[in-house]
Amino acid sequence: MTGRGLLRYIEDLLRGNRPRPFRAEQTDVAELRTAIELRAARPGSGVPREEFVTQLRRRLATELADTPTWGATRIVGTRRQFGKGAAIAAAAAAVGAVVDHTLTAGRSDARPETGHAADTLTPTTGDWRTVAASEQLPDGAVRAFDLGTIAGFVHRTDGVARAVSGSCTHQGCRLLLDTTTRRLDCPCHTTVFAVTGEPLTHQLPVTPPPLPQLATREANGAVQVYAPPAST
Amino acid sequence: MADEVYPDWEAVYRDNIDRMYRLMFAKVGNRPDAEDLTAEVFVAVLRPLRVSASVGEVRAYLLATARTVLAEYWRRTLGKEVTTLDEEHIETVFADPPAPSNAPRRTAAILSALPDQYRRILELRFLDSCSVREAAAELGVSVANAKVLQHRALRRAAQIAQEVDQ
Repeated sequence: MTGRGLLRYIEDLLRGNRPRPFRAEQTDVAELRTAIELRAARPGSGVPREEFVTQLRRRLATELADTPTWGATRIVGTRRQFGKGAAIAAAAAAVGAVVDHTLTAGRSDARPETGHAADTLTPTTGDWRTVAASEQLPDGAVRAFDLGTIAGFVHRTDGVARAVSGSCTHQGCRLLLDTTTRRLDCPCHTTVFAVTGEPLTHQLPVTPPPLPQLATREANGAVQVYAPPAST
Repeated sequence: MADEVYPDWEAVYRDNIDRMYRLMFAKVGNRPDAEDLTAEVFVAVLRPLRVSASVGEVRAYLLATARTVLAEYWRRTLGKEVTTLDEEHIETVFADPPAPSNAPRRTAAILSALPDQYRRILELRFLDSCSVREAAAELGVSVANAKVLQHRALRRAAQIAQEVDQ
């Protein structure tokens, strides 16, 4: 005889609700496991909600702001052997520089000046697409790229390549790279963003949010961003 | 790749959030719990983590933490360890690009081993998001019959799943 707790649990699963706990018998386990497995096979199930990813990121930024771990204290002593790759080479260059960079990064997470945290743009379907050869992006460099589906700017700072969206967060105008100041200018309302995405100056009533970050990696001598596939 | 070092916690998060959520959803089958458990893992992992930990170390730590968090979840909710992460390995969980899971093939194998009506009711309810009423209409049976059919089908599917595992 199937118990009520089990039936209710499965019905909750099917409706997408949080299943209510019950005192499960050992004989229920196989059915529960199969119900979960079948439910997880429903198309689209394994993709997290955009809001969840953003909210958890904010929560972590707040919680980690009071821990010294992501600051300077433990880095020096625990620096371990490094492998290959540009990011690592730069990190190994000077412990002092690494500490400074990490501290700054830690502070900017809270972004007290704008109250916004930059979100990472994660397309539902995407590919790692090359935006520059690694050698074309020396430390300090910034390059514009246009993948058709996403245009943006990739830069390398302290050895690490990162990319941001190239559309102004105010009304979507396409940003221009000012190579002399290493900044991104909005042609519409004279808003200026740092290449890292933070708004620097603007003449709007409210500070626009930072530019969305794009997932960026380096593989086989290429800088790649995770972007939707090219339209056919 | 595994020897590289994450520059900051945001990189750890960005790189692993989707895969951690997918992993948890596959083990609990519902969004609210999958979100809570994913959050629990990242909070637990990022607090004590060294900045200089390599990608491989971070992922090993993420998976180990996820195992503990999942085990605690089952202990707290049902008192039985319904699913575990014991069989999962870093190489497959964090493969880049994401490795195609063998879950769809397994699910298909289980469903195809069922009698026709059993397979249909499970497909309608679990995969096609039909209510029991809709599924009953689709199958041309009463709602009460559809419920009974679903229970029997799930029990049979669970038996087949255990046979597949052996």
